[in-house]
Amino acid sequence: MALRKDLSIDYLGVKCENPFFLSSSPVGGNYDMVAKSYEAGWAGVFFKTVGIFVADECSPRFDNNGKEGLPWVGFKNMEQISDKPTELNFEYMARLKRDYPDKVLVSTIMGSDEDEWKQLAKMSEQAGADLIEGNFSCPQMTSHAMGSDVGSSPDLVKRYCEAVTSVTKLPFIAKMTPNITNMNIPARAAVQGGAKGISAINTIKSITHIDPEHMTAMPVVDGKSSISGYSGAAIRPIALRFAAQLAQDEELKGVELSGIGGIETWRDALEFLLLGCRNLQVTTAIMQYGYRIVEDLISGLSHFMDERGYGRVEELLGRALPNIIPAEELNRDFRILPAFDYRKCVGCGRCYVSCFDGAHQAIDWDEKKRRPVLNDNCVGCHLCLNVCPVQACVTPGELRFKEGRQQGPVTMKTQYE
Amino acid sequence: MSKVAKARYAAAAVPGFTHRTAMEEAARCLLCHDAPCSAACPAGTDPGRFIRSIRFRNPKGAAETVRENNVIGGSCAWVCPYDNFCEEACSRCGIDRPIEIGRLQRYVVEQEQVQKMKILKPPAKKKGVKVACVGAGPASLACAAELAKAGYAVTIFEAEEKAGGVLTYGITPARLPQGVVDQDVAAIRGLGVRFALHTRVGADISLDALREQGFAAFFLGAGLWKAQLPDIEGTDLAGVYAASGFLKTARESRGRTGLAGKRAVVVGGGDVAMDCATTAKLTGAAHVAVYYRRTLEEAPANMREIQYALSLGISIVTNFAPVRCVGADGKLQYVEFKGRDGNSSAQVAADAAVFAIGQAPQDMRQLADLSLTEKGTVKTRSGGKTNLPDVFAAGDVANGGKTVVEAVAEGKKAAAAICKRLDALHEGRGK
Ligand SMILES: Cc1cc2nc3c(=O)[nH]c(=O)nc-3n(C[C@H](O)[C@H](O)[C@H](O)COP(=O)(O)OP(=O)(O)OC[C@H]3O[C@@H](n4cnc5c(N)ncnc54)[C@H](O)[C@@H]3O)c2cc1C
Ligand SMILES: Cc1cc2nc3c(=O)[nH]c(=O)nc-3n(C[C@H](O)[C@H](O)[C@H](O)COP(=O)(O)O)c2cc1C
Ligand code: SF4
Ligand code: SF4
Ligand code: SF4
Repeated sequence: MALRKDLSIDYLGVKCENPFFLSSSPVGGNYDMVAKSYEAGWAGVFFKTVGIFVADECSPRFDNNGKEGLPWVGFKNMEQISDKPTELNFEYMARLKRDYPDKVLVSTIMGSDEDEWKQLAKMSEQAGADLIEGNFSCPQMTSHAMGSDVGSSPDLVKRYCEAVTSVTKLPFIAKMTPNITNMNIPARAAVQGGAKGISAINTIKSITHIDPEHMTAMPVVDGKSSISGYSGAAIRPIALRFAAQLAQDEELKGVELSGIGGIETWRDALEFLLLGCRNLQVTTAIMQYGYRIVEDLISGLSHFMDERGYGRVEELLGRALPNIIPAEELNRDFRILPAFDYRKCVGCGRCYVSCFDGAHQAIDWDEKKRRPVLNDNCVGCHLCLNVCPVQACVTPGELRFKEGRQQGPVTMKTQYE
Repeated sequence: MSKVAKARYAAAAVPGFTHRTAMEEAARCLLCHDAPCSAACPAGTDPGRFIRSIRFRNPKGAAETVRENNVIGGSCAWVCPYDNFCEEACSRCGIDRPIEIGRLQRYVVEQEQVQKMKILKPPAKKKGVKVACVGAGPASLACAAELAKAGYAVTIFEAEEKAGGVLTYGITPARLPQGVVDQDVAAIRGLGVRFALHTRVGADISLDALREQGFAAFFLGAGLWKAQLPDIEGTDLAGVYAASGFLKTARESRGRTGLAGKRAVVVGGGDVAMDCATTAKLTGAAHVAVYYRRTLEEAPANMREIQYALSLGISIVTNFAPVRCVGADGKLQYVEFKGRDGNSSAQVAADAAVFAIGQAPQDMRQLADLSLTEKGTVKTRSGGKTNLPDVFAAGDVANGGKTVVEAVAEGKKAAAAICKRLDALHEGRGK
């Protein structure tokens, strides 16, 4: 029978059946949506951000960025927080908690001053929320008293965190904006203000395309457009970087992290877990594919844990952190030459083109056989391995130490998918 | 000049996918809401679901979907006429061409083996009731798997040495490697199903004897194995074969048909005829021609199989029916054909003539007092019920010869009917 492991994990003292949550966005915008997502297997929801401010949205409001026939590598949105009345949102949340007591309800809120933050926190508690998340990070609010403008000001973050934690005992999570050089500064401010958790990232300010027909960005709203948030697969590497930096910060020790940004598959989820995020949130992949993606998140992670002998999700947390080190500490004593499997090679010559034009002219092209031949120029950068279209055709081969360097054991990755 | 493919008897006719190419193909899938591919699979294999798992990098989950829904999903991946089922229904046809569902299924089942997965396990709760399945072809295998999952103690009785039915003794190994069939059969064994091979029910052991041994219900998936030769002169000559025997000998001898360098004529227009022709060719025959009495349009063979035969350089002659086989010293020399137009005729020199002119069941009355159709197939109602309350039948022996996947679908339905009957009996006893 299909393998299902116990993926449960505690997050800020709340038992979650698995680490997979909807992130605050339209995917968790009303009762029916969240109920459907629960039935599909999601453990909880960060409900669409509620404010006293009710958003007035533009149309259209989305665009996507692709590459070589693959759409949605990245996704741009111009939405703000909920466009529904404040009370209605809390009514939805109360009903959800009543009907699905074992699912985890996080109320995501955003105020424009301390009173609003307090008021929203109290309403969240009354609605039965298990946790509260503060949205300090929406990059396209129509008011500068809210969103990422607040999130990039440590003082404001701290003050609003204090406002919330002064009126509720519920653990508070501060959601960070990536539109900042050092996220750890506002994150520390949030913790000083009483936040128990940090979630990251919200969307990245972007322009996906310029439309040459209307001479503005996409999407075109009455001939104009704005800079606004980018999300989806393209932002995962950036989200992972912030996650690692937060997790490695001594001053943030004990702060529970929730990872967000481009999660589509269990592999993506695993990457955030291995960087120490004990909770995971998803929006764009759900917007593109639906709640059903949770089935393969659960199944895929179960199989991975089973295969590698992990009993609990907890055991995965932060496993990769010790091996992410500053660039100056890397072992630079060797190079690994690529090995070409001529039985697999189809003779496209892409490795040759890339090595010549983008690397070190280390591949000669055997014009007769139409096959690459490595010469002495190779520095072991592995551009060829990255560009070759055939699975396991170019692989890491011979290990060579640089002249005069200390020789020793070297850990090498050999399997590439 | 046309390019004729050269291949060995047991070399796979179509290459498989790698992780990367499987992902590329899965990325073409539209991930449909109410996936029409899934709705179109008679056996409920649910391709929409397993392709989604591939897409989301979960090949193990994909393998579970296939194996749980269609216990012989490996064989189906190779031989299903997808263009009549899932691939024909694929929404992507509205854009360009369907997703290669069969090939993706093959990749998934390969992953099951590479990853050493054991997906099906005997259920914890056993019913302590025995059921016998007659024949180890697709219908019985599917029925047995469902019954075993429900907790019944199932024994499959198979007349031959190996399980698989047509999968093992019919279809050419280029289209279906034996390893794939064996992997499927191993999954069924993994459920705790027992195999009594080399045991022909009705000859080696009677149904009544099995009843006495405590078997509470019987499933007949005996297929169509009567050797069929046309009622014409000369079929007793050496070199004249019925399709089923010809294919079986080829598989049992691993391709030693003795046809190397010789001329073979195959008579028929179905998949079986194509398999006989490709088997003859792949086992070394110098010249192979298929003769069919009607037009290509009327031929029941799948176009993919016809194209595969043509790709090997086999010629197909239509509108010619056999009149007699002529030989000397008891050996075949030529086959004489008459044209459908009434005027044409042909004498075709041949060392071997294989007749693939439709299949029929063996005498099923030897097993039990069953109601049969004129063709000799078992008369059934919904769920494979026969005139005998404890006997159920499905697959070729009941439907007269369809496809592997339909045999699976019918076998599953019969299993449900058997469960229903036995559960009812059990409750009755409990009262
Ligand atoms: C040459 C050939 C090629 C085909 N190609 C395709 C194809 O490409 N795709 C497709 O979908 N379908 C194909 N078919 C059809 C398909 O194989 C059948 O529809 C399918 O195998 C039917 O399954 P079954 O279980 O009913 O019978 P079978 O597969 O015939 O199995 C019946 C089994 O019962 C055993 N048996 C019979 N009587 C007894 C008894 N009294 N006691 C014990 N055992 C007994 C037989 O030995 C046999 O193993 C092909 C058929 C043939 C003959
Ligand atoms: C259409 C849309 C609306 C969003 N609305 C909110 C919001 O109201 N509050 C919030 O905190 N984040 C909001 N986000 C950000 C997401 O919650 C998430 O942080 C971000 O999209 C990155 O995750 P992803 O790559 O899985 O989408 C929104 C994102 C999108 C795409
Ligand atoms: S997705 Fe739905 S709400 Fe949005 S424009 Fe299309 S039909 Fe309208
Ligand atoms: S890129 Fe790969 S397949 Fe193409 S020539 Fe180089 S080694 Fe061969
Ligand atoms: S019908 Fe085609 S496109 Fe749609 S889910 Fe099935 S395989 Fe994919």
